[in-house]
Amino acid sequence: MMPNYKLKYFNFRGRAELARLVFAVAEVEYEDIRFAVEDWPKIKPTTPFGQAPVLEVDGKPLAQSSAIARYLGKEYGLAGKTNWEQAQVDMIMDTMEDILTPMRAIHFCKDEQQKAELQKKYQEETLPNYLKGLETFLCGNNGGDGYFVGSELTLADLTFMHYTGQVEVFVPNPLAKFPKLQALRERVEELPKIAAWIAKRPKTLR
Amino acid sequence: MAHKYKLIYFDRRGRGEVARLLFAAAGVEYEDFRFKKEEWPKYKGTTPFGQCPVLEVDGKPLTQSNAIVRHLAREFGLAGKTAWDQAQVDMILETMQDIANPISVICLCKDEEEKHALKATYEEETLPRYLEAVQKILAANKDGKGFLVGDEMTVADLSLFWTLDCIPVMVKNPTAKFPKLQEFRDRIAAVPNIAAWLEKLPKTADWDNSNVEHNP
Repeated sequence: MMPNYKLKYFNFRGRAELARLVFAVAEVEYEDIRFAVEDWPKIKPTTPFGQAPVLEVDGKPLAQSSAIARYLGKEYGLAGKTNWEQAQVDMIMDTMEDILTPMRAIHFCKDEQQKAELQKKYQEETLPNYLKGLETFLCGNNGGDGYFVGSELTLADLTFMHYTGQVEVFVPNPLAKFPKLQALRERVEELPKIAAWIAKRPKTLR
Repeated sequence: MAHKYKLIYFDRRGRGEVARLLFAAAGVEYEDFRFKKEEWPKYKGTTPFGQCPVLEVDGKPLTQSNAIVRHLAREFGLAGKTAWDQAQVDMILETMQDIANPISVICLCKDEEEKHALKATYEEETLPRYLEAVQKILAANKDGKGFLVGDEMTVADLSLFWTLDCIPVMVKNPTAKFPKLQEFRDRIAAVPNIAAWLEKLPKTADWDNSNVEHNP
């Protein structure tokens, strides 16, 4: 019997979108609860660590966006087929997190000059270095014309697609110099179930 | 057939230590390859993403400390017994990152006033919130006398054990108000395989700013 799923997060894509993408690909019903920012102080103490998103599975809470994504990914065959494949998927997911982390730090930087310098370094050095590593990794699998790991879609590809969209909020056209990565992004976005979700999901800035 | 493992990291505990604790707990042989900070430029270009630690498994590289840790935990039966247990273990691994990462951020902060403010927030709000939540999880399982998830040790316990040792570089005596966590820490340290590792591990600086320099 299908578990009862409740996903609780703000009205953003942000850190809940990976779970929503897995639900979309797996065609699994869930309650997509989005609360207002003003309501958060009331909700915060009810969560395991004072954070969102939280996934409730038959009423039991699971926190941490990537723990949620990995749990759902494993339940619905998107986590990688073997231990080693799962490790490769984990590696790509965590690398995407490393790509996004400096962007948040830049966003919150108060000193305008320092912010500009950090942004420049990120755009000209940090981000391209990571993307080069990702493109090389992708090309090591089926010439780069398939997916990151194995022969099917995994969380690695979904994370890449979603996080690239997050980077794009700050850095326009991030994949311009990485044709294989760009093609992968489009390939994932055009999968019918994902395209359908992208078309119907609430339109938010991030 | 046994796999050939090589762990490549700086000569410190840092982001390699939970992997080392896993090898110790499972009693599995590996090459504990350590290089000095000044040697990093030599190795950086040979890694998939210019980062370390790297775990080589039969010569194939795996990066990202938590990916390494999850892989070894699965291989050694220390990842959690059911899918839900594994999810809880994952949740704790991520939470340990949330506890440890701000320490690096604060260490690297150049503006003294901002640094002071960040440290105060960490000490007075962030850290107690997390430690209280983690103690609650521990206490819900055999009243804190067992492990974080399920009936046996998992990588979640090793990660908490190591994280508790990391915190004092920023906040002294973090478990003073969390007796179950202190008791847990001492209990894990006394597990024979772990005690043996703690006895023989190279005595290096446990934590310094350069923990974050392995990112490009």
